[in-house]
Amino acid sequence: MDLASILYLGVTFGLFVIFVLIVLRTYSKKRKDEGEIAKYRMLDDE
Amino acid sequence: MKSTEYNYDIVRSFVNWSVLWGLVAVLVGVIVSFQMVDPRLNFPPYLTFGRLRPIHTNAGIYGWGVGVIFATFIYMVQRLCRTPLWSPKLARFQLWFFNATIIASAVTLLMGYTTSKEYHEMEWPIDVMVVILWVVFALNIIMTIIKRREEHMYISLWYMMASLVGVAILYLVNAAAVPVSLFKSYSAFAGTNDANVHWWFGHNAVAMALTAPPLAMFYYFLPKSTGVPIYSHRLSIIAFWSLLFMYLWTGAHHLLWTPVPDWIQTLAMGFSVMLIAPSWGSVINGYLSMNGQWHQMRENYLVKYLILGITFYGLQTIQGPMQAIRTFSAFIHYTDWVPAHIHMGTMGWVSMICFASIYYLVPRIYGKKLFSIPLANLQFWLILVGQLTWSFSLWIAGVLQAGMWTAMNPDGSLTYTFMETMVEMYPYWWIRSIGGLIYFVGVVVFIYNLVMTVRHGEIASTEAAAEGRA
Ligand code: HEM
Ligand code: HEM
Repeated sequence: MDLASILYLGVTFGLFVIFVLIVLRTYSKKRKDEGEIAKYRMLDDE
Repeated sequence: MKSTEYNYDIVRSFVNWSVLWGLVAVLVGVIVSFQMVDPRLNFPPYLTFGRLRPIHTNAGIYGWGVGVIFATFIYMVQRLCRTPLWSPKLARFQLWFFNATIIASAVTLLMGYTTSKEYHEMEWPIDVMVVILWVVFALNIIMTIIKRREEHMYISLWYMMASLVGVAILYLVNAAAVPVSLFKSYSAFAGTNDANVHWWFGHNAVAMALTAPPLAMFYYFLPKSTGVPIYSHRLSIIAFWSLLFMYLWTGAHHLLWTPVPDWIQTLAMGFSVMLIAPSWGSVINGYLSMNGQWHQMRENYLVKYLILGITFYGLQTIQGPMQAIRTFSAFIHYTDWVPAHIHMGTMGWVSMICFASIYYLVPRIYGKKLFSIPLANLQFWLILVGQLTWSFSLWIAGVLQAGMWTAMNPDGSLTYTFMETMVEMYPYWWIRSIGGLIYFVGVVVFIYNLVMTVRHGEIASTEAAAEGRA
């Protein structure tokens, strides 16, 4: 494996890790209610 | 905040112009489809299939699609941020610069100036115009988001920001070129690198212009039309981030079986199949948002457009990954199957959502009740039948074509000559043209309904106008 491939895979894996962190944060029990507020607020945007 | 403080003036202008460019796109689409069935309809040098086809695609994606993006983003960002647009003056400049860019593109394409890169045909001076246009637009939207009075960011805002940043990056990289004269430039990339960059742009343009913005509209206009919130905001957020993560690597599915390195093709294939998950994350979220509300499909024409639109998106994002698999691609690539895929996306998914968004907007931004709901229903059926006729005829044509191209005699020679396969296409191209005409009539009905609403619609306050939604 050359440096370019390692870099390419590294970036892909790095992005994947960020994605997993986003999922964990979004679905954390602590943030359950907060994560849904926006959908109610948008209905009342007068 | 009182709705009167929002800036609707500029939204009105963008709606009007995008509808005009939409009409041009569909009209030229009908013309090029007839040029395919009767080559005598080509009038060289300007009015030939070769010059009109890119006018059709660019008017469709950039005039109609991006025009509606401008209108709806400017409307949605104000509402979702509860704050007026950051700079109405800049938006006014953007409107006229947008029209100038579209006209300059059409004129230069008619004159035969082209980079020959599909969906990026315009020569470098127009690239410069597009960059200015997008920077002005992005600045206005992002500044409005920054000074927002609403703490919670709704999913549509995320899709809007992704589109703003995504288009900028894609366009700049793919536009890299060395100009040699006012109307001629050479790509900064060469060989397979050029192809790879071009289709990385090409497919992410699908993501950032034909997927993220209509999703932003869908997530906004569906709950606004039904009056009930989306099923899950958290699901929409996960679908958003996974869509972004996966789309980036899929461009090379346009280059299967080419000299582009094998591993890039395989990666594109894998990520394309994975894309089903985030795409269907939004489709399922849309369907579940209709829990207990399905009766609105009968009663509320806006819901009909939106749900059919998201259904076409769902079908499109199953068909697309299938096409990205090497064996399937070997069969359908270069055949008429591919335009059928594209038009389910453009005429079905993107345009259905655009029609719904404009129907939602017009009564509100003009303060008039919609002129005729029966006409809106009639249009729905015309464009649905037109689109299905268009796509089904070419799916069948594509399979037939692929079958004939690959048919072999026992001695290994080809059963059919290329001309024989072409002749077989004619009945399907006729049917496609008829489907196109039906769709075109639908668009004319749409415009008539809008013009009558603006001219003769019953005056109502913006909120009262909204009551006419059923
Ligand atoms: C009545 C409606 C329409 C008709 C009759 C029509 C017709 C056509 C025809 C004949 C072609 C050429 C296909 C070929 O080269 O074999 C084409 C290509 C294309 N059209 Fe349309 N079209 C319509 C609507 C639209 C809309 C609304 C959009 C975009 C929003 C659009 C986007 C495109 C694109 C992207 C292509 C390129 C296809 C490819 O590369 O294979 N079309 N259309
Ligand atoms: C999961 C999502 C999708 C995947 C994996 C996908 C996959 C593909 C593939 C593999 C092709 C190339 C076909 C070939 O030439 O052999 C293609 C073409 C195309 N798709 Fe999709 N598609 C998806 C969604 C969409 C959507 C939502 C649209 C919106 C309109 C769209 C518009 C197009 C266009 C315009 C082309 C034509 C490019 C050209 O001119 O060659 N696709 N798609």
